[in-house]
Amino acid sequence: MSELRRVMCVEDDADIRMILEFSLTTVGGYDVCMCPGGRSALQQAPVFRPDLVLLDVMMPDLSGPETLAALRGMPCMRGVPVVFMTAKAMPDELEQLLQHGATGLIVKPFDPMTLPKDILPYWEHGRGRHVLA
Amino acid sequence: MQLQILVVDDIAESRRSLCDLVVTLGHVAVGADSGEAALALLQHCRPDLVLLDLLMPDMDGFEVTRRMRELDGGRWMPVIVTSSLQGEEHFIHALENGADDFLARPVSPGLLEAKLRHYGDVLALQGQLSSLAQRQSDILDNILDPVLTLDAAGRVEEFNRAARTLADLRGEPLGNGAPCSALFGMELNALLAQRECRLRRVGGEEFEAEVGLSEWREHGRVHFTLVLRDLTEQRQVERMKDEFLATVSHELRTPLTSVLGALGLLAGGAAGALPAPALSLLDVARRNGTRLSRLIDDILDLTKLEGDRLVLHQRPQLLAPLLREALTANQGYADRAGVKLAAEGLDAAAVEVRLDADRFQQVMANLLSNAIKHSPAGETVQVQLWTSPQGTRVTVRDRGPGIDPRFRARMFEKFSQADGTDRRAQGGTGLGLYITRMLVERMGGRIAADDVDSGASFSIWFPVDEAAPVPHG
Repeated sequence: MSELRRVMCVEDDADIRMILEFSLTTVGGYDVCMCPGGRSALQQAPVFRPDLVLLDVMMPDLSGPETLAALRGMPCMRGVPVVFMTAKAMPDELEQLLQHGATGLIVKPFDPMTLPKDILPYWEHGRGRHVLA
Repeated sequence: MQLQILVVDDIAESRRSLCDLVVTLGHVAVGADSGEAALALLQHCRPDLVLLDLLMPDMDGFEVTRRMRELDGGRWMPVIVTSSLQGEEHFIHALENGADDFLARPVSPGLLEAKLRHYGDVLALQGQLSSLAQRQSDILDNILDPVLTLDAAGRVEEFNRAARTLADLRGEPLGNGAPCSALFGMELNALLAQRECRLRRVGGEEFEAEVGLSEWREHGRVHFTLVLRDLTEQRQVERMKDEFLATVSHELRTPLTSVLGALGLLAGGAAGALPAPALSLLDVARRNGTRLSRLIDDILDLTKLEGDRLVLHQRPQLLAPLLREALTANQGYADRAGVKLAAEGLDAAAVEVRLDADRFQQVMANLLSNAIKHSPAGETVQVQLWTSPQGTRVTVRDRGPGIDPRFRARMFEKFSQADGTDRRAQGGTGLGLYITRMLVERMGGRIAADDVDSGASFSIWFPVDEAAPVPHG
């Protein structure tokens, strides 16, 4: 796959999901799979086979980091970059989040007009690692 | 003072007459007819003073005196020996065996009265001293924090009840004579520099404590009083506040994400072309949404700064690359405003300053965005790096209208902007310069507005770190 095509979004807020869908499909032209929570993501990942995952951090039930840990164990997720989305913006907190093993971080509020472009570096970076492995 | 006096004499008549004399003098008398009887009595009652005849058949007075001293519970009980023998050798012998005084028989009432008054005074004084000491001890024991007294070498001399819960590094309860290092893991010199330390309780529980240490002298000898305050509850409250802040931050930013997101998509034409008036309205909405977002950021920063909970990662950093990064980050904004960015002094000798790189970028972002915001199109905002043996200075200079003199005095304070209209038009929060100042000061620097003929200039000054090694050659 030489192009970013399929983006899976895991976000518990319905309105933010709508913004994300609008941004990634209408502006970005990607195929998307919207998941309202971690459990749904774990079910959908092997079916949808995303190229990149946008993962909300603070969710009820399974949190972002917990979902990430579970996703990492799935063969379909090998080499797929996972980008955290968070309302936290303090530099020290961002550092901590990256320790969980996410490829990158997008801070809320984000710009929906530029989001499709902003996730490209994470896809390229993540993909590069997969090829080397 | 009325005394309880034990009269020990095997001869009934002399015992009785001495008891009568004691009572006449205003005291209470109890009689014992032998050494054994006296010692038995002392098992369950404690007289204030003993009048003891030296010559008794079962046990001589010397032996009784010795045995009495053994029974002594720590409080002094004067023993006056009496004897009708001539010569002083037996009195000297008695005194050497623990007697406090002697009276020759027949006992002179005047002499007895004088001695009893004297010992009464001494016992009263001793009683006062004892209650004073007990009071001090009670006060210390009712202090909930552990209080320890250390000697000049840092060894524990005494400690209050609260300190009994403390254990040394091996888990053993605290004891007198324990060296400073056994309890704190460091010598006294190191402890003097600490404001906090980690301690252990008997039972293994560890906790953090605030260290209050002060030095005093007694007869030229140095002592230290050490007060330890358990910080566990304070830390918990701080953690709760941080959690609350994180939740508030999330709760406020979540709806804002949708608001700004929807407005951004509309303004970007993602839902179709919109007529100009609609776009203007969208502009208003987005501008204020962004302002709200920045306000949330600033207030969270502020709460952490003022609560002293902002964690700074201070490290020596090369300034030139940081400044170049700041310029790049703000280039987009400058381009959109038609303002040029220039730098001076970045290529000079590698200047290193101890600071938090991320927070420094935050400061530079504030200063640069202010400068760009106030610059007319076509003008240049200049960043200057200047270094001297005393320290390093970073200046941000713009050619805008300059600082309103009415505003200048309060410029670095909270919610101060030139006036209300400026705030609305420029989308600021009124907190930027205040937070900038707090961050600069927390990083060890100073910020000020410079006096310039035109435009505005802000300088951050980092003095040379005295603790850093001076480079040679």
